[in-house]
Amino acid sequence: MPRDAGTRRAYRARRAVSTFSRRSLLVGAAAALIAPRYASAERPITFGLTPVFLDSDVQLLARLEEYLRRFFNRPVQLVKRRTYQEITALLVSNQLDAAWICGFPYVQFADQLSLVAVPLYRSEPFYQSYLIAHRDHPATRDEDLRGSIHAFSDPDSNSGFLVTRHWLAVQGESPQTFFRKSFFTYGHRNVVRAVSSGLAHSGSVDGYIWDVLAEIEPRLVADTRVVHRSEKLGFPPIACARSAAQSPITQNLQRALIAMPNDPLGRSVLSELRLDGFVQPNPAWFAGIADKYRFVRSVT
Amino acid sequence: MRRLRLNPLSWPLRVKVPLSAALFTIAVAVGISNVVLDRLAATQNEHLRQLAGAYLDGLSTALQPYVLRRDTWEAFDVLDRARGRYSGLPLRHTVVVLPDGSVLAASDPTRFPIATSVADGFARRLSDATPLVIDEDRATASLIRRLRDGSADLGFIVAEVDIIKLMAERHETLLTLIAVNGLLALLLAALSYLLVRRMLAPVGLLTEHLSRAIDGPIDPIDEKQLPRANTEFGRLLRRFNQMVAAMLEREQLARRLAQEEKAALLGKLASGMAHEVNNPLGGMFNALALIRQHGGSDRIRESAIQLLERGLTGIRNIVRASLVTYKGGKESTTLSGSDIDDIRFLIQNEIERRQLRLKWLNAVGGTLSVNGEATRQITLNLLLNAATASPAGGVVEFVAKVEQGRLILVFGDDGPGMPDVYVDMLTTELDTMPPATGSLGIWTVNRLVQELRGSASVLTGAGTQITVTLPLKRDQLDTAA
Repeated sequence: MPRDAGTRRAYRARRAVSTFSRRSLLVGAAAALIAPRYASAERPITFGLTPVFLDSDVQLLARLEEYLRRFFNRPVQLVKRRTYQEITALLVSNQLDAAWICGFPYVQFADQLSLVAVPLYRSEPFYQSYLIAHRDHPATRDEDLRGSIHAFSDPDSNSGFLVTRHWLAVQGESPQTFFRKSFFTYGHRNVVRAVSSGLAHSGSVDGYIWDVLAEIEPRLVADTRVVHRSEKLGFPPIACARSAAQSPITQNLQRALIAMPNDPLGRSVLSELRLDGFVQPNPAWFAGIADKYRFVRSVT
Repeated sequence: MRRLRLNPLSWPLRVKVPLSAALFTIAVAVGISNVVLDRLAATQNEHLRQLAGAYLDGLSTALQPYVLRRDTWEAFDVLDRARGRYSGLPLRHTVVVLPDGSVLAASDPTRFPIATSVADGFARRLSDATPLVIDEDRATASLIRRLRDGSADLGFIVAEVDIIKLMAERHETLLTLIAVNGLLALLLAALSYLLVRRMLAPVGLLTEHLSRAIDGPIDPIDEKQLPRANTEFGRLLRRFNQMVAAMLEREQLARRLAQEEKAALLGKLASGMAHEVNNPLGGMFNALALIRQHGGSDRIRESAIQLLERGLTGIRNIVRASLVTYKGGKESTTLSGSDIDDIRFLIQNEIERRQLRLKWLNAVGGTLSVNGEATRQITLNLLLNAATASPAGGVVEFVAKVEQGRLILVFGDDGPGMPDVYVDMLTTELDTMPPATGSLGIWTVNRLVQELRGSASVLTGAGTQITVTLPLKRDQLDTAA
């Protein structure tokens, strides 16, 4: 049984959906006899996206949706929410078939979530967290950012919060003691905007996002510079509810993602994302994030 | 070209009227320009107030939940996204200020860093009572909007708008007004000048004719130059021509009367002259009879011949004086001492007839540059008057001399004195027609004296002394001095 009230509510909802699905399966099977193609009554596959993703590109989302729809031969619904927390809650409550989440929520809900696939970025399933500062800020090391106004991405983001939070905790500091002021922007791109505009002096940002932005939006990144790069950590994975790990949808989704480099549309999506492809996941890749999480939790 | 004098009151109308028109136009233009610029500024401010008001309304609605949560990023995001949506509102920056005076977010975070206090700076300039403040020196309009949740104060939003374009528009309008009004003033001045010059042309014509009349004879204005008769100046110039015609006619009449007076005098003198000629004739005939009867005697013949010679000499003097005085023709521009002495012969008969004694002192030597004929007529007239006024046995005095470049003629008699009316007639400037009766001689003398630019004075009481002073022409002054 789910352990907290929110998850229990989500569980009940999932049960209801599950019951409904079984009933509708019979109806759907009957309908399938009449309509050989997928029936309009068939539930769309729901795929959640967090702001870890380059979620501002509508055309990219449309192409990803199209790729998955063609692969599944059924409707696909991309679900976006403002925060990681919202997507994670939907995922663990089985309201999403799968979602592209951050490594931090994954380790937080490791007992309830299962990995589906992990992207390959620069040929490996890892990325870094960057501490960035405004171009005019005098900082040359991470320690020089003391007293600055700092922009975090999301409290459930590994690169946008946990890595910096952990670094501070190791030194016996917290964002409140180390920075003059800090705030969340709920998006890595927003962190770059905040630092670039001068609203914040420094920020914690996904290194992959910053690198890709430097390529596709150089003017936005031009006023920022990287002060510190973290060690390599598990790239934000695609996960599903542990209960759905073996479901055909999950299995198919894994195949679909791993097969993306073989399909022109899939290749164009990967190209847009500056990714090499997706691979079978290994939970050990996220041990570093889990260690940081545990350490931070132990000192707070 | 005549120089314009400094006192504007003495400037000619053709300058004063266009200048007044230009000044009036400029004054009106300045007034209108002020009204236009004030109105433009008011419209711009109202437009700015409405546009900025709409901007702040939209912002305050969008910002309220984030301000309530103190969400710096979302507040900034709202400001950042709103910036590009009000293209008609050139925003410099927008700042969201919390009730404690600290910045929650600003569209220009570099200038207004978050968590810094700025309330004092804004509060000095803005309040709920003055939600819009225009600072023309900084070319900035500042607006404030309070954020409230019920009665709770959530802070305020301040927007500063760049009004350089608005001010440039005002400046451009001002320059346009100056250019247009300046051009209008210039055009009106030029039109006024042309119009007034055209309107006042008859006045110039009149002035020119009147000026010319000071130095010489007055002329009527040529008919071709006269304006239409139904205009004011047409009537005025025609009146002037009528006046000139009347003056010329009067002048002609005066000349004619003078000629008649001269002729009358001549008649009078002719009879005197006949008497003067007749007197020696008796003696001369006696002399002839003596020669005829006693021509053999040398002594008697010689005596008779001397008698004849004296008689003929007397006749010759009379005839010569008459010839000089009344020969007519071209007027003599000079006068000699002997010309004055000749007059003595002309009045001799009158002096003797009235049993008067003539005291004659002619100190004029050489030739004087003065109208000889007119001077002799003056002298003759006044001597005859003196003779007429003197009682039998009286003395008539005459003195002629040159003093300080002037010819002085003095006439004295023992008469009862000259009536005032004649004194006035002789000494005051002539502006009337000749007298209807009598005294034509005195009136003629006065006219001649004035023609010669001289003067006459009278001392009268027991006897009368008239002094006539005639200026000599310039070339004479050197020799007469």
